[in-house]
Amino acid sequence: MTVNVTSADWYALAPISIVAITALVVLLADLFAPKHVNRYLAIVLAVLGIVVAATDCKAAYAHDFAAFGGAFIVGGFSVVFQEIILIAALGSVVLYGAIGKDDRIAGAIALMLWSACGAMLMAGAGSLMTIFLGIELLSLALYCLCGLADRPTAREAAFKYLILSSVASGFMLYGMAMLFGASGSVALADLTNPVLASNPLLWIGGGLFLVGISFKLSLVPFHAWSPDVYEGAPLPVTAFMSVATKAGTLAVFARFVYAAMPSGVADRLLLPIWIVAGISMIAGNVGMLAQHDLKRLLAYSGIAQIGYMLAALAGGTALGMRYAIFYLAAYTFMNLGAFAIAALISDDAEQGSRLANYRGLAQKSPAAAALMTVFLLALAGLPPTAGFLGKILILSTTASAGYVWLGIALIVGTAISLYAYAKIIRAMYQRDEHAHTHAAHPFVPLAWASAIVCCVAVVVLTFVPPALRDVLPLVR
Amino acid sequence: MLVLSLVLVPIVAGFVLLVLRNENPVMSRTVGALVAAFTFGAAIAAHGQEWSYRWLTRPFVASFHIGDTAISYWLVLLLAICTFCAILAASVPRQRAFVGQMLLLEGAMMGLFLARDLLLFALFWDLMLLPVFFVLLGWGEHVATAWRYFIYNFAGGLFLLLATAAFGALYGSTDVIGRSDVHLAGAWVPWIFWGFAVAFLVKTPVWPLHTWMPLTYSDTPSPMVAVVSAVQSKGGLYGFIAIGMAFMPEYVKAYAPILIVLGVISLLYGAFVAVTQNDAKRVVAYSSLSHLGLIVVALASLNATALQGALIYMIAHGLFSAALFLVLGFVESREETRSLVRLGGIGATNPRLAGALCIAALAALGLPGLAGFVGELIILTGIFQAGLTWAAILALIPIVLASAYMLRLFQGIMNGPQVPDLPVRRDLGWLEGLALAPLVLALVVLGVNPHALTTFDTGAYNAVATTLQGGTR
Repeated sequence: MTVNVTSADWYALAPISIVAITALVVLLADLFAPKHVNRYLAIVLAVLGIVVAATDCKAAYAHDFAAFGGAFIVGGFSVVFQEIILIAALGSVVLYGAIGKDDRIAGAIALMLWSACGAMLMAGAGSLMTIFLGIELLSLALYCLCGLADRPTAREAAFKYLILSSVASGFMLYGMAMLFGASGSVALADLTNPVLASNPLLWIGGGLFLVGISFKLSLVPFHAWSPDVYEGAPLPVTAFMSVATKAGTLAVFARFVYAAMPSGVADRLLLPIWIVAGISMIAGNVGMLAQHDLKRLLAYSGIAQIGYMLAALAGGTALGMRYAIFYLAAYTFMNLGAFAIAALISDDAEQGSRLANYRGLAQKSPAAAALMTVFLLALAGLPPTAGFLGKILILSTTASAGYVWLGIALIVGTAISLYAYAKIIRAMYQRDEHAHTHAAHPFVPLAWASAIVCCVAVVVLTFVPPALRDVLPLVR
Repeated sequence: MLVLSLVLVPIVAGFVLLVLRNENPVMSRTVGALVAAFTFGAAIAAHGQEWSYRWLTRPFVASFHIGDTAISYWLVLLLAICTFCAILAASVPRQRAFVGQMLLLEGAMMGLFLARDLLLFALFWDLMLLPVFFVLLGWGEHVATAWRYFIYNFAGGLFLLLATAAFGALYGSTDVIGRSDVHLAGAWVPWIFWGFAVAFLVKTPVWPLHTWMPLTYSDTPSPMVAVVSAVQSKGGLYGFIAIGMAFMPEYVKAYAPILIVLGVISLLYGAFVAVTQNDAKRVVAYSSLSHLGLIVVALASLNATALQGALIYMIAHGLFSAALFLVLGFVESREETRSLVRLGGIGATNPRLAGALCIAALAALGLPGLAGFVGELIILTGIFQAGLTWAAILALIPIVLASAYMLRLFQGIMNGPQVPDLPVRRDLGWLEGLALAPLVLALVVLGVNPHALTTFDTGAYNAVATTLQGGTR
């Protein structure tokens, strides 16, 4: 099959290209800029690039287009995911204003932008090749980013991530090969052929593919890497990873579930995923109880939260897709907000993520404590935050799709999680004369701004939920 | 818009107080009292007003729909009065933050009672737990109590959330509170009913879900526990009437025996335990369990007279339990103990304090002429009418016991020989008297002229009563 590549195809890639070029510009500017401005120069350039990309990306909303013969599909679905990934990149890049050594910022930011390119590619991936390309681009940059701190744990985290993630990629690649063997094509569109429903290659290949996906989503029992990697990685990287990898992989998963399976297969092939999602909600939240480090805690929290999002997709309804995206957007803001606060109170050795450092925070910095409280309440799903609305939307859609047991798992998980989140709130508001909290950085405008914007977004999303139309994933 | 200000003004004022740096206790008390007084006036002026703004259209219709119903109107007034009195009586360390939390609590509960949308109801239900939780953490005696309060009630809130989601999915709209044309049917309805019921039974509370309550009531500072016991506990009962009875009457009827048994156990258990308690606040806490158990029996008896009595008794209980907790707070702040064993003979030096406690205790034990009596009498009549003779007979026992524990409470604190090592403090001050006056006045007025409350039966209440009579025929 020959594909005629026109300029429209390249325009479809424009947001990704802008981000990639921005990364190059950041690196180049770092070479020539004077030492004392390079940190802020890199951040400002990256922010500009991301904003331009986000503006450009918006145009494709409600204009579905299959570029490169269906290998990359833009439309409402890809736009929403790409915007979320760009927000994640934005929220993480600004954290470098508070953290890290001056001379390494530019490289880290460039890597993070390339990583975002990979995730954005996954959001629009319409063929097995593009999916794999996106995943590898995302992961390769992340391996390097994880190792970029001066602590042994960072190197350990990078190594762990490399090994385990490669194993997952191997599973996924093997599954993709079988899917290719079954359909004779790398295009996801060709997997919908009803003849395939009885082909064992599709079942095995689909199963292996989903194992890989579960790994990337850090679903129980493939979750063990995520707390270690989150803990070891530098704070901005953890913030980015916690949202962007989930968003990209969720996009791939949703496209596979909604658009790329022969009819009649979904119920049986996906049942294990729903079960695993249910277990993740419980296990993730139970795991949170024993943590003494904010990054580890948020890793376990992320395991549970991705379970909630998957629960929305169970049943494959159009509303479920919208609510999964709504919850993902809400999760993006609450997570980035929590990381912004962590960055605000941490020193260069990044001790800010130890939960002990949050004792008595309310005395030192009432604003930081109040913002953190909002984010934790949102993660726990308490009103008046988007987490509350997201959970109730997911509950109603799961219940009406017939997956009541997933709804119950969500409720039980939420009840457990509450204790873990409230424990931090309590520590922050404890009066502790010997509190060894670092005083918040005197003035880190970008991180503060990020936290405040996230807080506003978390509350506003509750009262003015966006009407997400045309966000069903397509294949061509 | 005025009706919206009932919710927003306390919440905004509460946040402002929390953020301010001015630690002047007079300022915070004045601001708090003014806001509470404003909500009282605004609640009367905004009676019958509604405000609505579409929130969701899918998966079900939900709105920010605020406005009082014939039942919630009285609860809103009760809330405003109790908050006003409690803030006037508040004298705690870090007063500004405390009053801020009180106002947040008032705003959240205003939202609860004014919500005409189930989702909004669920939102405010969870929201009203937070100020109490924070006050228990910041001002309470034991951290464990705060957790117990929060986990019990939040678990109940999750059931409420699940039931609300299922209600929305089944009916297509949650913008239903106060409407009389809504009726749920289907195989899922029993589950939805129990989802709501668990939340309401925890909040009320009813045996065996009450174990968070005595601890919370004794550990929370008196001004806040006055509001929690007087008004927050009515959230469950109000939900039971406005949601359970209005939308699922046949399930209320089907499960009424269970509810009646739970209610009877609560009212007996609460009364018997109250007699044995030595902590003054716990006496009142267990007496609450007993009184609210009586209301649960009244609601579950599905009799229009009993329902009328329940509504009156809800208001009366709110008034006298708030007064009791406030007076006990005054005693505690003077003598630094609540132990009935340790206290004694204060009445000789503090006659006005003794008089205040006496009125509150007499209202609680159902003295004719005060509001509590009217409610109890009508409830018992209604329960008899409904043919639940055995329940009515059992419900008489706690009324006798109420005299025992309330008089024991009064005597333990006020009468008897003066305890030599207890500090002698000044008598009830004018501000404290002012804080109690509205409650006592309301108790007397409603006791002498219960007619004001028996004109309840209009609007939504009428609809509930008609449905019920249809259901019991």
